[in-house]
Amino acid sequence: MLAPALIATAVLFGGALAGALWSSLQPNPAGGGVSLEAWQAVLGDPSFLDAALFTLQTSALATLLAAILAVLAARVLRDRGSGLRTMFSLPVPVPHLIVAILALLWLAPGGLADRLLGPLPVSLTGDRAGLGIVVVYVYKEAPFLALLLLASWGPRLREREEAAALLGASAWQRLRWVVWPGLRTPLVVGSLIVAAFAVGSFEVPLTVGPTYPPTLSVSALEAARSADLAGQAQASATLLIAAAASIALALGAARAARSDVG
Amino acid sequence: MAERALVVPRVPGGRRTGSVPARTLRRFAAPAAILALVVVPLAALAVRAFADVWRAPALLPQELGLRGFEQIFSEGSGVGPAFAGSLTVATAATLAALVIAWPAARALAGARRARTALLVVLALPLLVPQYAVGTGLAEWFIRLGLADTFAGLALAHLVYVLPYVLLALSFGFGSAMDELEEAASTLGAGPLRKLAHVTLPAALPSLAVAAALGFVVSWSQYGTSLAVGGGRQTVPIVLVPFAQSDPQIAAALALVFLGPPLIVLLAAAPAGRRAA
Repeated sequence: MLAPALIATAVLFGGALAGALWSSLQPNPAGGGVSLEAWQAVLGDPSFLDAALFTLQTSALATLLAAILAVLAARVLRDRGSGLRTMFSLPVPVPHLIVAILALLWLAPGGLADRLLGPLPVSLTGDRAGLGIVVVYVYKEAPFLALLLLASWGPRLREREEAAALLGASAWQRLRWVVWPGLRTPLVVGSLIVAAFAVGSFEVPLTVGPTYPPTLSVSALEAARSADLAGQAQASATLLIAAAASIALALGAARAARSDVG
Repeated sequence: MAERALVVPRVPGGRRTGSVPARTLRRFAAPAAILALVVVPLAALAVRAFADVWRAPALLPQELGLRGFEQIFSEGSGVGPAFAGSLTVATAATLAALVIAWPAARALAGARRARTALLVVLALPLLVPQYAVGTGLAEWFIRLGLADTFAGLALAHLVYVLPYVLLALSFGFGSAMDELEEAASTLGAGPLRKLAHVTLPAALPSLAVAAALGFVVSWSQYGTSLAVGGGRQTVPIVLVPFAQSDPQIAAALALVFLGPPLIVLLAAAPAGRRAA
């Protein structure tokens, strides 16, 4: 009975990828046949490299920080009541766009953080390093990852931890050989979803990111909206590169996590 | 608890050492940090929405008022139709995902060896930028007359709603459910009675979680809607321009935008809790 789900995915998702590929090969929508011009234009543009590096940098940093915070938070919340967990999980249902608006309210020059703490030492909105983008993703995704971890860090894993402790395992040994194998799958899967989302979405960089460099998705949006006839084809090519990078990254990370002894 | 006390020094999470102030600090550090870093930032949104005048460097607004809400509820703001559009699309995408994912989740619970591979294939869309799926689908939707329609939007959202709904639903099925259903069959329940009296009640917690998750995922979509929605507006599309131009309207709209996901989650929470 997997057929409906597989067909829906194949038709809609496969169709979307095919559509994007088709549009990337048609730099002149009015007719002019199939060509690789848009791909050449995208890959030959020096700003493409800037955008790719900026995308990689912000999404990797955001995912790493969110994952570290999530592990620490899950460790603390594991022993606490559900009230505190609910408080910490508040950002999970809040759309990214709203968190980006919050970031502007707090972190923009003259924003609430400025007023409360004095001028901030680093610029966090519209900054070239993309720190504002990172802050938004960490605020939103650390609770999401912590929830995934807490679902696996239940009584069963705790019993194994206690058993290991009774057998004389040190804190580090328990972490390495008992806790990590239990939390690895949700942490890796969750982090991959977070990283891919950070690569692909553009409401956050559009709202709190710098005007340059754009992320890959933002640069695709700019190309699609430009007056250039070939803009749509270039946008599709850029998006396909981002998609391929995300999938390759995910497969690599999944393989690395699986081959890790544990 | 009594047995655990015997092994106190080595049990993880069982530390009971330190002076009284240090213990108090440890106890209140986490709630204080969560309050300051998670809750207060979010609460500022509500203040911003009702602040007609809030000039730096004041920490509190100079003048409270309803300008933001008056603007968004005024005719011609486009918020009403966008809200209705978001609701229609999120409901349709979620229902479609539930119908498609239900048999798949059942089958996945039984498929032991191929389970991981199938899950990866079905979750693959989560790795691809929303705007990529949107622009790719728009290519076909224009030819099929689905561009700028609610049906087109719901289909595009379904690409992202389906994997989440499927993952959430698949937690509800497994050997425990099989045993329950077998018992019902043994006792002579027909397929319909079994579904109504055994399967659905037992699957209700994961069904509620899946529905809530699906709704929230569709409700938050921006990239797909921008690409295939055209003239059909959803709330995020209307909201983005205000983020930079008018923070009060953006905040008021954000509060309105948060309503439906919160209602859906609150409705799903009691059923979801029974799963734990």
